[in-house]
Amino acid sequence: MFQIDFGDNGEIICCGRLDAAQCEKAQAFMDEIADLQTLDFAELEYISSAGLGVLLKTQKRLVGSGGGLKIINVNNHIHDVFHYSGFHTIFDIEKPGG
Amino acid sequence: MQKKLNRSYDSLEEMYEVTERFFLNEDVEPSIRFPVHFVMEELFTNMVKYHPDNSNDILLAINTTDGAVTVSMTDYDVDAFDVTVDRNINTDAPLEERTPGGLGIHLIHKMVDSLEYDYADRCSTITFTKGLNA
Repeated sequence: MFQIDFGDNGEIICCGRLDAAQCEKAQAFMDEIADLQTLDFAELEYISSAGLGVLLKTQKRLVGSGGGLKIINVNNHIHDVFHYSGFHTIFDIEKPGG
Repeated sequence: MQKKLNRSYDSLEEMYEVTERFFLNEDVEPSIRFPVHFVMEELFTNMVKYHPDNSNDILLAINTTDGAVTVSMTDYDVDAFDVTVDRNINTDAPLEERTPGGLGIHLIHKMVDSLEYDYADRCSTITFTKGLNA
């Protein structure tokens, strides 16, 4: 199960497991956003390489127009995936507690 | 534990659930479960992606022996694709030089302790291990 929606403060809340079966849903949501956005991963348990592709495609589009993604509350496992992918150099990423 | 999985991304949830039940029964730590799930799902996704019209199920086998989780995934009547070959992904590349895709094999190599590929009679078998104390 994967859910994505705006939170009360305008941040984008991702919950569950972002695997290959859920990427179309995630990409459709991300294609509608613009400017600077914060993704809250506090409730995101899992991301696959297909999910990384959604983030990368969105980041390239947003940075190209002066925006970008900040990703907060990243759990240790997903943080490892970001680190192995080199995503820590192309995204603003924060673990819980900053 | 063995499980035949329908060749569809929709099987990812079933694969996760049956594997998670196995891990709970075997008392496997969450720190081990995440990378094993990750690698299984990357391998399964590749099998679906590159042979979408193949009607054969994909066979998953998983067990814990000798201090490690061992997972084997078998795909029938397919072309060879050796996942043990490093694709030389540049993870230091700046954003403008990156394109979506290609990270899966690189991440698999980062997360497993061993990775083997066997191909015979158009049957691919990928076996990986992850130490229980990693």
